[in-house]
Amino acid sequence: MVSLLRSEWYKLRKSKIVYILLVGPVVGLIIGIFTNIDMLPLEMNQWVGTLMMMNLTYALLFLPLITGVLAGMICKYEHDAGGWKQLLALPVTRGKVFVAKYFLLMLLILAIQVFYLVSLLGIGFAKGFTDTFPIEVVWKSILGGWVATLPLASLQLWMSMMFKSFAASFSVNVIFTLPTIVIVNSERFGPYYPWAQPFSMMYLSGDTNDIFFVPWDHLLTVVGGSFIAFFVAGFIYFQRKAV
Amino acid sequence: MEYVVETKKLTKKFGIEYAVADLDLKIPKGEIYGFLGPNGAGKTTTIRLLLGLMRQNTGTIKIFNKDLNSTRLEILKKVGSLVENPSYYGHLTARENLETLRKIHGAPKQRIDDVLDIVRLSDVGNKKVKGFSLGMKQRLGIAASLLNNPELLILDEPTNGLDPSGIIEIRNLIKRLPSEYGMTVLISSHLLSEIDQIATSVGVISKGKMIFQDSIEEMRMLSQQKISLKLDDNEKAWRFLSSKGVKVEPENDCLALVEQSDQEIAHVIRMLVENNFSIYRVEEEKRSLEDTFLQMTMEEKAV
Ligand SMILES: Nc1ncnc2c1ncn2[C@@H]1O[C@H](COP(=O)(O)OP(=O)(O)O)[C@@H](O)[C@H]1O
Ligand SMILES: [Mg+2]
Repeated sequence: MVSLLRSEWYKLRKSKIVYILLVGPVVGLIIGIFTNIDMLPLEMNQWVGTLMMMNLTYALLFLPLITGVLAGMICKYEHDAGGWKQLLALPVTRGKVFVAKYFLLMLLILAIQVFYLVSLLGIGFAKGFTDTFPIEVVWKSILGGWVATLPLASLQLWMSMMFKSFAASFSVNVIFTLPTIVIVNSERFGPYYPWAQPFSMMYLSGDTNDIFFVPWDHLLTVVGGSFIAFFVAGFIYFQRKAV
Repeated sequence: MEYVVETKKLTKKFGIEYAVADLDLKIPKGEIYGFLGPNGAGKTTTIRLLLGLMRQNTGTIKIFNKDLNSTRLEILKKVGSLVENPSYYGHLTARENLETLRKIHGAPKQRIDDVLDIVRLSDVGNKKVKGFSLGMKQRLGIAASLLNNPELLILDEPTNGLDPSGIIEIRNLIKRLPSEYGMTVLISSHLLSEIDQIATSVGVISKGKMIFQDSIEEMRMLSQQKISLKLDDNEKAWRFLSSKGVKVEPENDCLALVEQSDQEIAHVIRMLVENNFSIYRVEEEKRSLEDTFLQMTMEEKAV
């Protein structure tokens, strides 16, 4: 498994992955820079206010889009020139290949979230925020956003394995990402829509005592449940895929 | 006989079409097994089944005397393969491509240089494969298949896209493998001449069915070539040769020689020249692959 992960990382490292990892955080950075903190309510913490503004675009739009792009990329070079058949004729199980790809994808998303946090810190220091850094709120948002991509990324990985064309899986992802802006406001569908979950979980909603910004039972049932559903479906699909 | 690969009634359907039907493939150890069949006969499908890239509908596969389904990983550690068009990662160099596989095999780093050298790609090892010609990609694929020093090497039409000198090079390489490294080789092709020059054992597949499987000598007996002579007076020559005990058959505007050893032909021609016949043409007629297939299929039915 370790050797497989090393091989996967090697392939990925040599593609133009770094630039893609930076897109989201840079977008966050730009929004943060242009956020006028004087416009925010006085009682609001400067860090929290800035992060909320950044999240609006980042978590709603860029994060789900970029996780899709990453999922597409780690499958693209397998689709392009017979990579799958070469890889799967090696002494590896398909299960391990699937898990390795998923693991790597989640690691990359974690890296994006960390870069995003770095963006926030950079803005704060540059602008000389005087409020205390709300460490708990921030890590809940950063890590919560990452947890929320667990189901979405499984779904996107599954799709990317299915579609031979990178453009096709990317288009589908765009089509499902755009309505998030509307769906996220719906009490009934919002929590269940995989593309809306990152925003819901990064959204800074005052003082809930739960571990993240959504109640525990919601986290376990909706995020956990859909993660298992998509992961298992993708896993089974890949087991049976003829290459 | 010890078989490295043995399938029983191997069958694969796509929809209602049989791509492989009741195939009993037997590859003896240490042989170069030529898997011959026209395009669409089911060679690649069979190879995919042998590597577990696809699941058969029915039938069993044994490699190294072990069941493929239950011992796949253990078996694949000792198998090298090149399936259909060469596989590669275009964004990586030749060396990096091999490195991604080496990491999984756990082979020593030195092995990358070795296999690049074997297929003569050392000079372009650090170039991106994207820009390679088909022949170079094909060589890289062969290098990749040799990386783990396999006991069984499976090459699906490995000379596709190679230029004539490349074909000869690869052919010579493959010929060395059994004696130098103890490998058993399965090589598929749609060209009889290709298999004829390289294989020691042959299986012929047509429409998913194995229609012939034996040693190359047996195969050559079946697809014998014919020597035809064209003379100023065929009729007279025929009578002359027959009287000398040479077996000839008149055929259209020429004579067909049944015996065809080099000495025999030299002998016949000398006799003809010495007796003042004018020889216009001496031709060797190779039977086409289709003819051979046809004959094989007919014999199969007659049995
Ligand atoms: N993935 C597939 N789906 C449907 N039909 C296929 C597939 N792969 C091969 N075939 C069909 O199976 C037959 C055998 O193909 P193949 O094994 O590629 O032949 P060969 O390698 O001998 O040229 C052909 O008729 C081909 O069209
Ligand atoms: Mg083929």
